[in-house]
Amino acid sequence: MSHESSGTQVGDGQVVDGRSGDGRSGDGRSGDTLVTLEGITKSFGAVQSLRGVDLRLGTGEVLGLVGDNGAGKSTLMKVLAGAIRHDAGSITVGGRQVRFHSPADARAEHIGIVYQDLALCDTLDVASNLFLGREPRRGPFVDRAEMHRQAAEMLSTLHVRVRSTYQEIGELSGGQRQAVAIARAVSFQPKVLILDEPTAALAVAEVRQVLRMIREVAARGVGVILITHRLQDLFEVCDRITVMYEGRSVDDAAIADLDIETLVGMITRSNTTTEEAA
Amino acid sequence: MTTQVESPPQRDLAAQPSWWERVNKATVAMLGVTVALFIGFGLASPNFLTFGNMSNLATQVAITLIVAIAMTFVITTGQIDLSVGSTVAFVAAMTAELLQLGLDSSLVIVVGLLAGLFWGSVNGWLSAYQNIPPFIVTLAAMSIIRGFALLWTEGFSVPIDRRLFVAKIGEAEFLGFSALAWIALATTVAGGILLSRMRFGRYVNGIGAQEESVRRAGVNTRRIKMITLMLTGLAAGAAGILTAARLGSGSANAAEGFELTVIAAVVLGGTNLFGGRGTIVGTVIGALITGMIANGLTLMGVSPFLTPIVTGLVLIAAIWINLRGRSLAQLVSHLTARRT
Repeated sequence: MSHESSGTQVGDGQVVDGRSGDGRSGDGRSGDTLVTLEGITKSFGAVQSLRGVDLRLGTGEVLGLVGDNGAGKSTLMKVLAGAIRHDAGSITVGGRQVRFHSPADARAEHIGIVYQDLALCDTLDVASNLFLGREPRRGPFVDRAEMHRQAAEMLSTLHVRVRSTYQEIGELSGGQRQAVAIARAVSFQPKVLILDEPTAALAVAEVRQVLRMIREVAARGVGVILITHRLQDLFEVCDRITVMYEGRSVDDAAIADLDIETLVGMITRSNTTTEEAA
Repeated sequence: MTTQVESPPQRDLAAQPSWWERVNKATVAMLGVTVALFIGFGLASPNFLTFGNMSNLATQVAITLIVAIAMTFVITTGQIDLSVGSTVAFVAAMTAELLQLGLDSSLVIVVGLLAGLFWGSVNGWLSAYQNIPPFIVTLAAMSIIRGFALLWTEGFSVPIDRRLFVAKIGEAEFLGFSALAWIALATTVAGGILLSRMRFGRYVNGIGAQEESVRRAGVNTRRIKMITLMLTGLAAGAAGILTAARLGSGSANAAEGFELTVIAAVVLGGTNLFGGRGTIVGTVIGALITGMIANGLTLMGVSPFLTPIVTGLVLIAAIWINLRGRSLAQLVSHLTARRT
């Protein structure tokens, strides 16, 4: 994929951040640094949603992004997914500084996102949803047999449990829908996959299925950013946690060094002074 | 920590489900209604099930079906087009006027189709790109387009010379069926392929279900919505030419209430009135039902004024089934399901 079609390279295509690409995070399963965000700011009118956020994600790493409501998690991820343009700061992907003007720019840099609403069509079948907008064709016609074959392969590889690729999305459970949405995002072969509250409103068994998928995706070398309010999920799948508070990234720690009480304290800033929090 | 869960065999995942699982249940219900009407009218009137009457029924249904096929796409995207009757009248009147001016039939046909396409484009642009609800746009267009036709013809019916090619289309037959019926069949096949075999059809269904999801998949949903309204315009243009051909005249008062017949045919067949699920086979069934009621009641010697009342009642029943088709189907599936 040509770099011209993706994010804008800063400085006429020069690689600005020489550290990226060979840096090691040194945490958990993480490998080479995939993405670095530094000093990201974003304002909506008078409201400053992001006030200088730093974030780093490594190959095959599952990073939990946590924070209270309004901390700026979703805004930050929309910036990384190209849905929102940031005001200041830098995004480095694979060693190159980029600036995204649209979600297509982010996709071209192999950054995928699954929003909370999943972006699926209830009346289309599983295969049609997986290939929506890029259906395999034979001449002018959709090659349905090939589409269903590829869909079955995709779902089997990720151990997604649906009865058939012909099942309509509207007939699936919440967990199955989430799994299909993740499979769709994975089919774009992302290097970075952002999941926004993937386990919200799911039954226990379904949560386990989704968490298992996250581990499988990360095992393929994909860097996963997981936004969730379910703290127990973080301890099951994450390697590292970045905590946001009022538009800033305030803590970054390996999950192995944390327990749930410490994490709650980090999120609510109950163990810091007012001056530190500010 | 990883839990090993066995995934279903790949070949089973991609195996096509049974016909019953795939088929639109509301369409099956309406197919049952069609069969019942065939039997009922066949018993009530000995002339109903003759080849001559079936050929006649095909001709009567043809014009409705041509526009209903296009309307299936519009309704499946969650839109509506109320202006098709007026477009039919406008093009019918224009066809007659232009032939009277001495223009060649082939040129008149092209101009008629382009006129329909033009009105469809106006509707499509205003609703898809200017975000005016299609109900409002096409309601206004319904008045404007017929108004132009009335202004042009001053309310008079304009005759067409029966020796002209356009008029001969209305009388032509092949294998015992009228040219109109064959044109309707060709339109149906084209519509079926477009809706179920091509990307366009998938996007039409997807837009009706969750437009934002289709848009995020990189599809230009506005363009798709505009094209569907252009299709109804084009189909109404063709219907206008065929109406003039069949009647041997063009009138600005033609096809009044036609849009309701067309919408009824589409919804009767099982296309979801609120979008997301369209069926061309269903539309054929819906058009047959509307045509059969009129045809059968006429053969039975019932007052023609009763026809719209019966059609309206059938429409209400059909929409009831349309809204509850899936629930009924689920009930049937539940009752007939084998435990595995």
